[in-house]
Amino acid sequence: MKLKQALKYLPAVLFVGFISVMFLLWLILPKQHYSAQEKRVLADFPTLNAETLFNGNFQKELDTYLSDHTPARSFFIGLNADYQLITGRNGQSGIYLGKDEYLFPKPVKESENLLRNAQFIKEFADSSDIPVYMTVIPSSGYVNHNKLPLIHEEYTDDQLIRSFSKALGDKVQYVDSAAPFFEIGDKGQLYYRTDHHWTSKGAYKCYSLLGNALGYTPLKEESFTKETVTDFYGTSYAKAALWAIAPDVIELWHNKKQPEDSVTVEIRDGADVKTSHSYFFPDQLRNDDKYPVFLDGNHSLVTVTNENAEDRTLVVVKDSYAHTIVPFLSQHYRNIIMVDLRYYKKDVSALAKEHQAEGVLLLYSLDNLSEDTNLSYLF
Amino acid sequence: MVFSSFIFLFGFLPVVLALYYITPRRFRNVTLFVVDLVFYSWGEPKLVLLMLVSVLLNYFSAILIGIYRPKKRLARAIFILSIILNLGLLGFFKYIGFIGETLQFMLPFLNIPILEVSLPIGISFYTFQTMSYTIDVYRNTVAVQKNVITFGTYVSLFPQLIAGPIVRYSDVAEQLVNRRESLQQFTDGVRIFLIGLAKKVLIANQMGVLWDILRKSTDGGVIGAWCGILAYTFQIYYDFSGYSDMAIGLGKMFGFEFMKNFDYPYISESITEFWRRWHISLGTWFREYVYIPLGGNRKGLGRQIINMSVVWFLTGLWHGASWNFILWGVYFGILLIIEKTFLLKALKKAPAIVRHIYALFFIVLGWVLFYFENMGEMGVFLGRLFGAQGFGLSVNTGAAILSFLPLMIAAAVISTPLLTNTFHRIKSSGVRMVLENTGCVLSLLLCTASLAGSSYNPFLYFKF
Repeated sequence: MKLKQALKYLPAVLFVGFISVMFLLWLILPKQHYSAQEKRVLADFPTLNAETLFNGNFQKELDTYLSDHTPARSFFIGLNADYQLITGRNGQSGIYLGKDEYLFPKPVKESENLLRNAQFIKEFADSSDIPVYMTVIPSSGYVNHNKLPLIHEEYTDDQLIRSFSKALGDKVQYVDSAAPFFEIGDKGQLYYRTDHHWTSKGAYKCYSLLGNALGYTPLKEESFTKETVTDFYGTSYAKAALWAIAPDVIELWHNKKQPEDSVTVEIRDGADVKTSHSYFFPDQLRNDDKYPVFLDGNHSLVTVTNENAEDRTLVVVKDSYAHTIVPFLSQHYRNIIMVDLRYYKKDVSALAKEHQAEGVLLLYSLDNLSEDTNLSYLF
Repeated sequence: MVFSSFIFLFGFLPVVLALYYITPRRFRNVTLFVVDLVFYSWGEPKLVLLMLVSVLLNYFSAILIGIYRPKKRLARAIFILSIILNLGLLGFFKYIGFIGETLQFMLPFLNIPILEVSLPIGISFYTFQTMSYTIDVYRNTVAVQKNVITFGTYVSLFPQLIAGPIVRYSDVAEQLVNRRESLQQFTDGVRIFLIGLAKKVLIANQMGVLWDILRKSTDGGVIGAWCGILAYTFQIYYDFSGYSDMAIGLGKMFGFEFMKNFDYPYISESITEFWRRWHISLGTWFREYVYIPLGGNRKGLGRQIINMSVVWFLTGLWHGASWNFILWGVYFGILLIIEKTFLLKALKKAPAIVRHIYALFFIVLGWVLFYFENMGEMGVFLGRLFGAQGFGLSVNTGAAILSFLPLMIAAAVISTPLLTNTFHRIKSSGVRMVLENTGCVLSLLLCTASLAGSSYNPFLYFKF
């Protein structure tokens, strides 16, 4: 009887217990400076003085500080994601959970920026005497259309890419990868499940498609040995916060016939130069984001030299998707010069002329291309 | 500080509860008053002074009224001055910009400057509370409070300080001095607080997300527009009633009993009934301090209609310094007058379903007036509701509606007494206890999760 009396007050005990434990843990637990999961620096303890107190900044920042350092924050964020999912709101985080644990960023929306970029590229090609090639990589959700969840927004990558490529004019040799990729669909794993990027397989497919236009005979898939790297959790995983999803496998494709030391990768960031002798950077596998294993991630200017390849030079203007495909292209070009316009702000035509490049390849994913505002730096 | 924030739940509240309960009983009001000021100054570090001015103004007016009560005219003069000052402060801080804009619009040749005054949080609520005290003292229905701390605690009591309910002094005068907190009351408070928190965080915020999507979508057609305004209908109810529940729950944790502020308003069968169930403390205030003093319904139908018009104009104006709120108040005033004169009698003969549809239609339509401060946007949205942008629904808008449908249905069910009634019909107290505690744990965990998962957390009622 006494226990039953006491049980009446259980909600109060649970409540006071919970808020006090959260408060105490928050006081006691060591504070992290950086959240790997969220890929951002967490708030510091705000400065407390008369000024910040009276203008209210201290109060505001303390709230941010407290929520950034909530005890068991990632548990609660995960719980929220699970709760949203089971109450029907798949995709509220911006990421859909599809079939077979596939995560898809929501569709790319129509944007004026996309057509503005087409205009920049058209002007660049019109003014350049070097041939310009381009392909736009469609999004994972568009390609893996059979794996999308029941309720989802429309993926209109084909329409967006069509109106984009039309606006490029005649001087750009546009190679369509959207339709062939859509046809393959989920049959070959062209994209990671937990990341927005394409896999080595996806990059290989695109490399095969580009051969005709660029003038090379693609190597057969059998020419490569595939080294596998496990435990890759990509950006979609971090955004979706569905922690129970299994990790991806990264494949590093090595040409069986290519000697190790025939490759030189020279990375330039401003005055900094570093060189290495592989397309792959195993050091990056120790980080939370493992995708930079391909060509060390984003850099302003990267030169890839292959002594065994024909004496040809190609300039690739690109986003991070290109890091996976350049090792394939490198089989046919002695020099590939990769330019990232987010960091490289000099004249690309001059660069191509200087190295006597026989072509400029623009390689972008649709999502980056619709948001990127650096294409104006092309010329 | 809002209740549904980490700083309140896991910082302020545990510390304040501890401080309050280790304070000896006779000093508890002092502790409360101090933490109230901290709570208020968290969001308004400077304007806390304005609240103190309001406290002192009413404290001293009441004392003077008490002293000069035998000299009727003097007491009356003090009273009128006090009311003018109260309304003056509210008018200046809340309406001066609005008045300037309106005058500038109507008399553009006068070049009237528009003053930019930031609205102090909760001023509409605490001004009405302090006025209830001064008016009641003048009417001699409550005793003068000589202890300034006690009176300050009443005005600044943090649970209901910034978004109500509007607690009349006469309702809590006794509790302010003689209250006996009990574990049972505390437990009830926790229960109500957690219900309110879940209403706000798990339903209102989410309905807000859907409303934002559907309001901005240009390809939602008639269905999209109606789903949108329904989402807002739920958002505003769960937001405001959730806040009131949290206030009532917190009040109980500190030994106070506040009046119920919402009573399932969306099950109403008429607009008259709706306003008996929606924001009850505001309706009570206006009835007590405006409608009845004006003569109420005791001076014939004509006078009653005038009185109702005044009350509803003011009710609209109280909600915000913008014409759409006045429009919204007048809209309900007209509906209520129509109901009073003949419609209520006619409705009685109609089937219940017709009465529900009638009431809901006008309530939901009212929220359109309430939401859009920009008349142009309001017009466009009203047009969408009635087919100006077609009927068809785009795939993307459809996807948004479908993904929120489970929550919409839950929101609809929970806005009726169905679940509560079912719960009380369970005979086994063991089952009830398990359900109740599971509910508490779920609410705590999911609200914490939801707050961690999103920073989308504006309290709608801060505007007022």
